[in-house]
Amino acid sequence: MDIQNRKSILNKERGSSLIKCLGECEIGDELEVIKVDAGGTATQRLATLGIVPGVKIIKSKSAPFNGPVEIIVKGTKIVLGRGLVAKIIVSCNNICMG
Amino acid sequence: MKDCCSHKERKKNQFIGNKINIALAGNPNVGKSVIFNQLTGLSQTIGNWPGKTVEKMEGHLNFLGHNINIVDLPGIYSLSAYSLEEIVSREYIASDEVDLIINVIDATNLERNLFFTFQLLELKIPIVIAVNQMDILRKRNKDINFEMFEQIFKVPVIPVVAVHGVGVYQLLEEAIELIYEHKFNPHKKEHRKKRRTHHHHFKIKHMYPKLELNTSSRELFQFPDLSPLLSFGKEVEEKIQLLEDNIEQNIGDTEKYHYPSRFIALKLLENDREIEKLISKDIHNSEIIKTSKDYRKNLEEYHGEEISTIISSEIYQNINKIIDSILIIDTRKETKKQSITDIIDHLTTHSILGYVILALVLIGIYYFTFIIGDFLGGLVDQLYTYLSTDIDTSTVAGKILWEGAVGGFFGAVGGVLVYVIPFFLLIEILQDSGYLPRAAFLLDKFMHVLGVHGKTIITMILGFGCNVPACAGCRIMETEREKKISIALTSLIPCAATMVVVMGLVGEYLGIGFVGLLFLINFIVIIFVGRILNKTMPGECTELIMEMHEYRKPNTRVIIKQTWVRTREFVFRSLPIIILIGILLEVMYIFSVLESVNIILTPITVFCLGLPAVTGIFLIYGILRKELTFALLEVLAVSIGVGSVSLLLSPIQMFVFSLVTMLYIPCFATIIIIAKQTNWKYALQISLLEITIAIIIGSIVNWGYFLIVNF
Repeated sequence: MDIQNRKSILNKERGSSLIKCLGECEIGDELEVIKVDAGGTATQRLATLGIVPGVKIIKSKSAPFNGPVEIIVKGTKIVLGRGLVAKIIVSCNNICMG
Repeated sequence: MKDCCSHKERKKNQFIGNKINIALAGNPNVGKSVIFNQLTGLSQTIGNWPGKTVEKMEGHLNFLGHNINIVDLPGIYSLSAYSLEEIVSREYIASDEVDLIINVIDATNLERNLFFTFQLLELKIPIVIAVNQMDILRKRNKDINFEMFEQIFKVPVIPVVAVHGVGVYQLLEEAIELIYEHKFNPHKKEHRKKRRTHHHHFKIKHMYPKLELNTSSRELFQFPDLSPLLSFGKEVEEKIQLLEDNIEQNIGDTEKYHYPSRFIALKLLENDREIEKLISKDIHNSEIIKTSKDYRKNLEEYHGEEISTIISSEIYQNINKIIDSILIIDTRKETKKQSITDIIDHLTTHSILGYVILALVLIGIYYFTFIIGDFLGGLVDQLYTYLSTDIDTSTVAGKILWEGAVGGFFGAVGGVLVYVIPFFLLIEILQDSGYLPRAAFLLDKFMHVLGVHGKTIITMILGFGCNVPACAGCRIMETEREKKISIALTSLIPCAATMVVVMGLVGEYLGIGFVGLLFLINFIVIIFVGRILNKTMPGECTELIMEMHEYRKPNTRVIIKQTWVRTREFVFRSLPIIILIGILLEVMYIFSVLESVNIILTPITVFCLGLPAVTGIFLIYGILRKELTFALLEVLAVSIGVGSVSLLLSPIQMFVFSLVTMLYIPCFATIIIIAKQTNWKYALQISLLEITIAIIIGSIVNWGYFLIVNF
């Protein structure tokens, strides 16, 4: 398979990547934030920490009993409560790759 | 408001007397307090969890003939009005009280730290950037191009390794230079670079004469033009400039608000309530606020995002653009090996092992404290017995002095300090390592049941050491409601002083199993109180947003110093009281005054709780410091000659006495802190609630035991 071909396939996959909320993603997924819909202050707080649309994040941990989720954004680990996790919409690229 | 102004004037006068005021500002956990301690020799608490600096702390030093006043501010992520700390820090930085900011940033996390730097630069205040943790960055085969950094930011940028004191005095040197020359002079870069290579044994080349200024140096300072660095995308920048023009036309000089016009424009656009309140105080400014609202709506519609998202995204884009030229990454050496801290991190947040470790850590702290304390206590007892053999206690004065004062002293050392020192040591290690946020991560979900999020676990675990700083730490909670619930729960945690009572009585005479039972009861009470407050307080729980810092090896010097500071505080507050009250009790005992006080309390102590009447006065003293209840019991045992507490109290009395001491009221210092953090009404409500709970549960245990034994 030549490089050109592979690129176009990758692009297609990107186009068909899954959009879901952060809570539904698997641990270790590399994600891109699409939308943060957490309401005024929380959205502002998340934006301050660099969690804005377009940014790449990794879901690194998830606490049991439906607890908080840890993500890696810009090299730092940030823990987010479940309620927020449901309000962060991400696109999940590597599901298709795997 | 009036108070604040007079305060400010006073500060200004101090400046005429050669005082330079420097504020340390930056993200949480970047090492501000470490630099502060290095410079001032003071002992600001250091820990590895976000929010441990709850109030700004001041220190003074004399550097090259200049009187410098340094303020350590709480760590914040931005200068918005999201939390109380941000508002307080912003107002403080903008006020006349600060001549210069040292912005401490973490070299290993430049992007997020520079986000805050960008906001500070908008305030146009003399600034020196301290890039801390350079050693860790270099270990990761990365480096920073400081020349480029200074060229882009046009302010001094100094590499620092705060824990080893590298570069901290150079910060001051640069600061003084900046204040003295009123502008940053990048031409002196060569000269500065040379100095930087010798920062271990730095020497100042020339000394400035003492500052003789009758005005704030800030007014003379020429802030460099940073517009290429700080400007936003076309749409946002256009709106900010229009708004800025509007402000300048309507208000003119924004000096009275202490903020530059561009900063006000930006914050109004961002819908910052505090700035809006400030500006709308003047009725003529309503037009500006209306315009800013229109612009904001405009931008939000254009981008399809909330304004905070738009502006933050653009700042981060600007940072990304410059970070490539600042950060040097040696890709050849980059290794992706899993480090030991990663493994510990993985284990301590594991969905099963994590909880096992958490339980072991908490139990372990108590267990080791008990083992070490018991051993040391035995040694102190032997010493007292050995010393007592040659003392004549037949005279009244001799009896009062020896058995009251010396006995009180040994009671305090043998019964209290031997437990307190190892306990503080373990708590310090725990908080310095960075374990506490992991506990918050694991228990966040559970804490929601009590109406708060996981951060409360941090203050609760610290409460095991001392409720006073732990309740002060409840400031990290974002809303008033959560702060109140957190404070209530934290004040119910048995602290080191309570532990002394529990270990000394129940642990010593009844065994560790009953200590466990006491903790179980305490734990159930905490859940009960949390549930009640969650149900009765209006509002609902906010979600956890918390940075998870990497583990780090606890610094031995820091640990020992902090343990010493805490112990010293404990001793100086507690020992004189114990000895004094020891003497007083001895006198009261001889003249039988104790009886009348105790008789008043008899309905509670004797009837409800089944305790000897004499404990009434002890419980009153215990409000002052909880360990007094036990220490005085020991003193009493010695002075009436029974020798051992076990002859004063029966096993069930010991159990009830310890239980009541655990629950009955936050100590006096804690009540004051609660009142300071919330209000007196709430502090008294909590105290009353806890007294009621203690009496009810104490009675249930006492009468329950009585019924079981007799029927």
